[in-house]
Amino acid sequence: MGIALEKISGVLQKFPGGSVLATSFDAVANRARANSLWPLAFGTKCCAIEMLMATGGPFQDMARFGSEVARQSPRQADFMVIAGAIVRKMAPCVRLLYEQMAEPRYVMATGSCAISGGPFLYNSYTIIRGVDEIIPVDVYVPGCPPRPEAFFWGLLTLQKMIREGESLRAPGIRRKPVTAALPQGITLQDIREEMRRLLEAENVVDVTKATEARAWTEKVEQWTQKHCLRF
Amino acid sequence: MDAEALLEVLIASEPAARKRDKTNRTAIQAPVENLLPLMKRLRQDERLAFDLLLDHTAIDWLAEGRFELVYNLYSTIHGHSLMVFTSVPRDNPLAPTVSEIWPTAHWQEREVFDLFGVLYDDHPDLRRLFLDDDWKGNPLRKDYQDDSMLARPQ
Amino acid sequence: MTVRIRTLEEIVRPPQTADSPFSTQEYFVNMGPQHPIAHGSLRLVLLLDGETVRRVIPAPGYVHRGIEKMAESLTYRQIVHLTDRMDYLSALMNNWALSKTVEEAGGIATNPRIETIRTLMAELQRVQSHILWWGVLGMDLGAFTAFLYAFRDREIIGEIFEDTIGARLTMNYIQPGGLMFDVHPDFARKVKKLIVYLRTILDEYDTLLSGNAILQERLRNIGVLTPEKALALGCTGPVLRASGVPYDLRKAEPYGVYDQVEFDVVIGSRGDCWDRYYARIEEIRQSLRILEQLIDNIPPGPTMVTKFAERIKIPEGAYYGQMETARGVLGVFLVSDGRADTPYRIHFRSPNFNNLWAITALAPGWRIADLIAIQSSLDLVIPDIDR
Repeated sequence: MGIALEKISGVLQKFPGGSVLATSFDAVANRARANSLWPLAFGTKCCAIEMLMATGGPFQDMARFGSEVARQSPRQADFMVIAGAIVRKMAPCVRLLYEQMAEPRYVMATGSCAISGGPFLYNSYTIIRGVDEIIPVDVYVPGCPPRPEAFFWGLLTLQKMIREGESLRAPGIRRKPVTAALPQGITLQDIREEMRRLLEAENVVDVTKATEARAWTEKVEQWTQKHCLRF
Repeated sequence: MDAEALLEVLIASEPAARKRDKTNRTAIQAPVENLLPLMKRLRQDERLAFDLLLDHTAIDWLAEGRFELVYNLYSTIHGHSLMVFTSVPRDNPLAPTVSEIWPTAHWQEREVFDLFGVLYDDHPDLRRLFLDDDWKGNPLRKDYQDDSMLARPQ
Repeated sequence: MTVRIRTLEEIVRPPQTADSPFSTQEYFVNMGPQHPIAHGSLRLVLLLDGETVRRVIPAPGYVHRGIEKMAESLTYRQIVHLTDRMDYLSALMNNWALSKTVEEAGGIATNPRIETIRTLMAELQRVQSHILWWGVLGMDLGAFTAFLYAFRDREIIGEIFEDTIGARLTMNYIQPGGLMFDVHPDFARKVKKLIVYLRTILDEYDTLLSGNAILQERLRNIGVLTPEKALALGCTGPVLRASGVPYDLRKAEPYGVYDQVEFDVVIGSRGDCWDRYYARIEEIRQSLRILEQLIDNIPPGPTMVTKFAERIKIPEGAYYGQMETARGVLGVFLVSDGRADTPYRIHFRSPNFNNLWAITALAPGWRIADLIAIQSSLDLVIPDIDR
């Protein structure tokens, strides 16, 4: 479908006012893509129970967002939910599954293990600290395991991204990744750099340096104070 | 059979076995040379009849230069349980396999081989279990070095 | 002295069978870590002859995080959250196994209120785990409706847990020395309502799946596990009991308040997939019996006997504690050197690890579809195998 519409939009652009028609095609195609994301049924650990099975169940019901059909083969899916910890033995399989998905394809990292290694960050000799070391991730959903409602927030964020960001003329090029539930004014890059600095500092075992460098936690604290219910 | 009677029967029949203290279950300690006949007797003697090998694992005593192998046995017929401890030297960790007596040891010994490096004599299929076949080193040893391990700051 | 170390590639080499009647050739197929029936990331290398399975070589390790090595640098309270993530469908029972061993080793005595609440939570979790297993078995065998019914009921139990514990899946509730929080005031009322509701639901499950002719054809007389073989392979839990061996730790070495309640141990007669299936359905009924007897009789008292921030130190020695989770005997082997507040070595005797290898003995000779039925009836949770 991508190639045909590219050809159509290529032809349309030559006419006066044609790019307007192509833009409408974009909107229609993006809306169609966003509302029919088919997840790949791939879960490693506990997050799979919550993110893939419970959200498919009757109380949470992923089907109302269009993700009814969880395909078993990556060739037929366009949306991979990494639910669970990825270890070194599994990493080539994850990369292979990602490569097997046809473009446009999206990846959502759910749960702390997939985002950064989770509870297994320290002293584990096999864990991959964050699945974004292997494959590019679009949306991060934090939690251990995230609630199904958090998963839906991530899914809706992804749908919004697709509706706004993706273009027919260049499918597969997307905007930089977003994190569901990041406070205002903080980007993923900030957090990554801070974490890298923290880890490097901590591993030289200088605890005072590590506590002084926690600038971003203050921002998160302030935002939480302002927006979260305290009781 | 209760704990004292069990220990009496065992130590009477196997002079090299001794009672092991500092556990919360009935436990004996035996040298590794006498391990295989002892295990055979534990399985086949009708008063003992340990038919379920619950668990087999190892402990790395780095300071003392030995691996301590632990076997956890239970008898569904009599309802008594026993732990058998034995030691192999760390620089030549050779132990007999009990997978002829309890087939479940086949895979429990593979796990100990993978994570500690203990070699089992006459094991039908000695291969790494959890880690890749070309992994270097045995992670659960106390002196295992790995650049990818991130240590927790104290 | 023969110690020969092999690799998987040596075993997986295409053999030639020139003398089979239809000139079929055996071939290796990977039922890889990503598979709808994998229940996690379990890789099975199958040697197939047409559609008949000749040999199954499980290759675990795709979720091996090294929990035992990690636990050597964590205090006992900090290890509890890692036990949740092993067999996450009986997370509370995993917590209890570790807490029990630490309490036995450290000489910490709990009080009846703690033990009663622990028993109640464990039985609720057992019901929840068996219901999920039932739904997944239906899905594996092609009956997706069973999955939806099971998750409806699982969410109801999950809400009860969430009121008290705050978490839906990874509980971290039962700590050495007691419990994290006291039970919610609505707990008893909701559990009583649940017991009545679940009794009708179990009849619905029987109508939906157990009485179905297709399910019976797929499960009866498939994968028969004799009691001697089950013991030799180290199986415990419903797999062993369905083969006829009455080994249930709740009766053999009672812990909690199991010695004060009346319930039956469910034993099968033939050891086929159907016995393993129905044994778990009956276990749900027995768990409901236990819940009924305990829910109104929770004795008063504190829910934590040690101070929460206190570091637990265990005297030198090697200790072993075990308990019956939804899948079998979970044992915790703890070695302490008496000085540090972290264990010197901790090893989890995982029920799924020992049940997994039964598939190498059961599957050969059956077809691929029967292999699926056998694997579902063994009820494996893969992170528990790999730890």
